[in-house]
Amino acid sequence: MFSYLEKNGIDNFVGVPDSTLKNFIKEGLLKKKILITTREDEAIGIATGMTLCKSNSLIFMQNAGFANSLSTITSLIQLYKIPVIFLIGWRGFLQNDAPEHIKIGRIQPNLLKDIELENRIVSEKTWKKNCKWALSKIKNNSTVVLIIKRETVE
Amino acid sequence: MNRKEAVEIICKQIQNEIIVSANGFISRDLFSTLEKDSNFYMIGSMGLASSIGLGVALKKPKKRIFVFDGDGNILMNLGSLVTIGSLQPKNLVHIIFDNSIHESTGGQPTNSNHIDISEIAKVSNFKVYSIKTKKSLEQILQKIKKPKSPILIKIQISKNNIKSPRVKIIPEKIKSRFISAIDCS
Repeated sequence: MFSYLEKNGIDNFVGVPDSTLKNFIKEGLLKKKILITTREDEAIGIATGMTLCKSNSLIFMQNAGFANSLSTITSLIQLYKIPVIFLIGWRGFLQNDAPEHIKIGRIQPNLLKDIELENRIVSEKTWKKNCKWALSKIKNNSTVVLIIKRETVE
Repeated sequence: MNRKEAVEIICKQIQNEIIVSANGFISRDLFSTLEKDSNFYMIGSMGLASSIGLGVALKKPKKRIFVFDGDGNILMNLGSLVTIGSLQPKNLVHIIFDNSIHESTGGQPTNSNHIDISEIAKVSNFKVYSIKTKKSLEQILQKIKKPKSPILIKIQISKNNIKSPRVKIIPEKIKSRFISAIDCS
């Protein structure tokens, strides 16, 4: 998925690591194409600057970081209509995930709906189709979210 | 020196260079001093001017990028100093107008007078200039033409009694004209 996005126009991968996304991030780190930031909103700021230079960006984070980013999404990304792809790891998807993830995992679908971000879930079967969808959306100046479910508990 | 006076001195020297300015009175002072397409007025998302500036600096390595920031703003995103300091963009000039208050929200204290932001920037591998007078500001701006690392200029400013008018351009327009301006400048 990393290579596919890179080959199809995403120049920058900026964000905060999440174990659900570790394979994606590992591939990017090997290619020296990942920029790790201290917080998720910082990543959104950097990606915004890059997008203003006509360089397409993906911002990755855990859903805990998505909750951290709500104000930045409304008052920067949506206010200025900055087209970026968010890649969010869905912790708390399983009922038996660690306790700190349960609440955010449960309210995540409603949060995405309320903040008015179009989103698709990425799986083994759907990743390519949904990456294509996301790439076409940012070409048309929209911001979208791709989600990877956490389906195992370690 | 107050913030408006400092903004005027800087704008006079840097003319048409790219500026990303923080929300609140900083953007308003810039708007009323040197309105131009290559100003990105960040009207929301407090704290992120230095991050947006970093993104631009990384993608436009041949251009100098100025960030107009405040003490309240940078204290909300101190991690930004770590990220900029690690990446070492030589074309980023981070200016902090430090009045130790959140002036735009009524003058509440920020705590920047209890610690030294300059020292945090120094250990984050910025070249740091701490300035109190108009004359030294003018001199430093002349001196930083060929930097070897990101620069942080902390300017101690006094409280301002005159409010500059709000930025009157809609955000989408601020964005689109900034994109065009930095693309061909």
